[in-house]
Amino acid sequence: MPATYEPIATTTLGSTQNQVDFNTISSAYTDLVLVFNGGVTSTADIWLRMNSDTGSNYSRTRLTGDGSTAASTRNSAASSIFVSVGTVGTNANMIIHVFNYANATTYKTTLTRFNSSAYTAASTGIWRSTSAITSLTLKAEAADTFTSGSTFTLYGIKAA
Amino acid sequence: MQILSSPFYGVSGSFESIATTTVAAGGTGTITFSAIPSTYTHLQIRAFGQTNRGSVSYDGAQMRINGDTASNYSAHNLTGTGSAASSSSSLTTYMQLPWVGFGTTTGSNWGGSIIDILDYANTSKFKTIRALGGADGNGSGYVTLTSGNWRSTSAITSITFVPDGGTTWSQYTQFALYGIKG
Amino acid sequence: MAVTHKLIQTITVGSGGSASIDFTSIPQTYTDLLVLYSARSARAAVGDDVYIRFNGLSTNLSSRTLYGTGSATASYSDASVAYIGYAVGDTSTASVFSNGNPNYVGSTNKSVSGDVVSENNATGATQQFAAGLWSSTAAITQLTIYCLNGNFKQYSSASLYGIKNS
Repeated sequence: MPATYEPIATTTLGSTQNQVDFNTISSAYTDLVLVFNGGVTSTADIWLRMNSDTGSNYSRTRLTGDGSTAASTRNSAASSIFVSVGTVGTNANMIIHVFNYANATTYKTTLTRFNSSAYTAASTGIWRSTSAITSLTLKAEAADTFTSGSTFTLYGIKAA
Repeated sequence: MQILSSPFYGVSGSFESIATTTVAAGGTGTITFSAIPSTYTHLQIRAFGQTNRGSVSYDGAQMRINGDTASNYSAHNLTGTGSAASSSSSLTTYMQLPWVGFGTTTGSNWGGSIIDILDYANTSKFKTIRALGGADGNGSGYVTLTSGNWRSTSAITSITFVPDGGTTWSQYTQFALYGIKG
Repeated sequence: MAVTHKLIQTITVGSGGSASIDFTSIPQTYTDLLVLYSARSARAAVGDDVYIRFNGLSTNLSSRTLYGTGSATASYSDASVAYIGYAVGDTSTASVFSNGNPNYVGSTNKSVSGDVVSENNATGATQQFAAGLWSSTAAITQLTIYCLNGNFKQYSSASLYGIKNS
């Protein structure tokens, strides 16, 4: 039986890498929390995918501050949830909440906090699938890479 | 300086599940957490929801504390609409919380919220709520940070949620209450 | 069985108030740190700015903030301090305290994610997202939160938690 809030898996990159996968995620929890700290090597975005789905089944609404302007944008019918904002740089952190991930009846909702040297942001995303989530992927856009030393940790939260 | 450690750091650390409500078939109008123990320092509610507000795509929640229906609540929102950042306020008989529900059809879009109440049992403070929530509808949606306040120094012993625009929470809606030791 | 969110220390401000809340001798056994704070400033205004610093140092800090007031939104940046949120000031509705969670994440340069709200039964309520950065690879052994203009008032409190990733 899992504890209420416990780590499931963690990865620290020893070299640059395009994506990090958390596979065979146990269905024993209620929510997942994915924490990222690190950077990307170019001006790439960071993408979130579920169950390796690359179809146009994702969308998100976000709220951003760049130090001078508050703004909000939307991305629809996309091949992933774009969880970052602008140039990620090397000192970014991100906390992604995935609600009721093992529910096989509803679409899957995320809430993300993203912070970098250039932005602070919050976003909500959706994966339009009723499948239970068994894998999560964080990917740097296109062929870009996460920097060496970037850390990725997946936590599970178990409701009573 | 003495460093204090939580005596409850065993299996569940300082973050513990207290109660969970999952709506059954047919829906429900009110979700209630009652007899909340005073043994924690902070509370967190994680909500995943949908209401029957069919004519409008998004819905929020009205939160009340200890059954108080008087004008003892205030709430302010910072919201992203997908095209603009906006801010609003609500001073009324309940605390209006961000978008936790959407639509009427199972399989359509659902909202999520994380609601934090610090020092919920402290009798020297009014109770301040912080809530981050949102729902996206593939072409529409909102993400919101809400501040809320209940002007009472009473310890919180019960919390209720009703849909802001609809009348029932849909089947599979889930509200989970957690306690955090401080 | 691994667990997270282990309480390290809670500090509650006494009757004389306090210029800052300091967590010292922070054990190095955690991955990330989380602070939950409930604060009120003695500043004779509706609110006060709250900053964070590490290891007693006031250099190599910066931040970027997005906020709403109930009627307007804005974003600003600081190049010399790490702003993490707002505390209710002493002319705000009595007995109201802010609610914040600066969450330090990382082991190289130290990045901070803050979600902070302050309430008031009228104007002066704020909802803030903050991104802070301490550009230092030194291990964090001390964490301090402080108000820009006033002392923390009695009953202000902060709890420091350690989060382990395995």
